[in-house]
Amino acid sequence: MTIDITMYVRAPSRISAYLDWLQMLTGAGLILFMWSHMIMVSSVILGPGVMNALAEFLEEYYMAQVGGPIVAFIFLLHFVLAARKVPFRAEQQSTVWKLSRQLRHTDTWLWMIQAFTAMIILIMGSAHMWTVLSDFPITAAKSAARVQGGFWLVFYLILLPMVELHVGIGFYRIAVKWGFIRRKGRKGFKRFENILTAIFIVIGLVTLARFWFLALPK
Amino acid sequence: MGRKLKFNIFRYNPQDPDSVPHTDTFQLEETESMTLFIALTQIREEQDPSLQFDFCCRAGICGACAMIINGRPNLACKTLTDDLPAEITLMPLPIFKLIGDLSVDTGTWFREMNENVESWVHTSKTFDLEAEEERMDNSLAEEIYELERCVECGCCVAACGTANMREDFVGAVAMNRIARFMMDPRDQRTGSEYFEVIGTDEGIFGCMGLLGCEDVCPKQLPLQDQLGILRLKMGWSAIKHLFRIK
Ligand code: HEM
Ligand code: SF4
Ligand code: SF4
Ligand code: FES
Repeated sequence: MTIDITMYVRAPSRISAYLDWLQMLTGAGLILFMWSHMIMVSSVILGPGVMNALAEFLEEYYMAQVGGPIVAFIFLLHFVLAARKVPFRAEQQSTVWKLSRQLRHTDTWLWMIQAFTAMIILIMGSAHMWTVLSDFPITAAKSAARVQGGFWLVFYLILLPMVELHVGIGFYRIAVKWGFIRRKGRKGFKRFENILTAIFIVIGLVTLARFWFLALPK
Repeated sequence: MGRKLKFNIFRYNPQDPDSVPHTDTFQLEETESMTLFIALTQIREEQDPSLQFDFCCRAGICGACAMIINGRPNLACKTLTDDLPAEITLMPLPIFKLIGDLSVDTGTWFREMNENVESWVHTSKTFDLEAEEERMDNSLAEEIYELERCVECGCCVAACGTANMREDFVGAVAMNRIARFMMDPRDQRTGSEYFEVIGTDEGIFGCMGLLGCEDVCPKQLPLQDQLGILRLKMGWSAIKHLFRIK
């Protein structure tokens, strides 16, 4: 039975709109950060000297020391905002799970991947940020030693595809949600986004390989 | 010719206390240009007269026959068995109240939705029976008509992850309704009046952009485009309010 009387009138509020803006902007900010992050770290492919010089430059002007915590804050804010959309109740989880399996619909699956990768990134991303930000200065040798230790290699091999998937899907989602990409452009943009994600994963893998084979100073 | 079709059909009669939800299987020989409407009618006439399902126009116009066909919501009357594998599973639409078997009550839901978004032209002008109708630009009329084509079948709601998880979410069809009135120059509602109706987490900001609605709508309504336009419009309207820009 449905009840056709409204017992109260909600005060008009714009809070949903502001929170949605913030969710999108923090997401977009993190995408930009992840792209520049990848460019900076992969500079080691050109040589450890290049990466060291970049890191030294960023630290000399305190960009890393100030930027790091800012990114960590945006990361946290984005998590709190986006988590509003994640189903935490078991009943909702089983509903979306059933729907996704039944519907066989790519975009619904993409969202499931986004929500799942988000949880992994929350934990592993925090651990990664803590390790790097509590151990200045950043040098190629220190990173290489971590990777060659084995534990961090496995850690990054998991985190890398998680982040790239989340970033890629998030980029696509922002574009369709906010009407930047319309029906006509959707298919093409999705293909572009998939290629971009693949490229970033490959660059990440090559970077890890470079760290793995980097000769450590004795 | 004539494949042997196997139908797995959801059965449950909520009126009958002895009824339990289960699946019944029916076999049927496929005939030429067979739609699910023809197949279901044949099953009811020849095999099980108690089978419940809805049809009206049989031409994809009334929206009564929407159901979950092999996992996807669609109109049964315009689905050819030829486009489906030989095993066909039919379920009622979720979210809506089940009347029995494949029949659901979309009417109550849609009535409530239309009331919630106040789906009518709001105007202070008194209607003059004698006067000539106001003219509208032809291209605008066509744009409005494009959104008017919705047959209220409920497929977009059934395919929406958000609507499945959250009963209070209004669904793409409601946003499409609002978008239609925002285009209409006769509707005198202001931006903030529209915002009150749709600028919430039950409305456009609850939509997660999964685009299930866009991909299943049997009338191919431009739902993705309308949702995007609406989000941007409502988003800007909130920003303008924040900085007190008129
Ligand atoms: C590397 C860090 C991250 C980046 C670059 C990133 C990026 C994005 C982007 C761009 C979106 C789309 C935003 C939108 O649709 O409005 C998004 C959505 C989402 N993010 Fe993240 N994110 C990151 C970390 C996280 C973390 C740690 C969580 C933890 C819960 C998370 C949870 C989510 C969820 C659930 C969504 C979907 C929200 C929706 O569809 O409305 N993200 N993310
Ligand atoms: S928008 Fe499309 S799927 Fe939704 S009710 Fe209307 S016709 Fe059906
Ligand atoms: S885009 Fe997705 S979340 Fe939004 S109304 Fe359509 S199906 Fe629902
Ligand atoms: S019977 Fe009217 S749309 Fe199918």
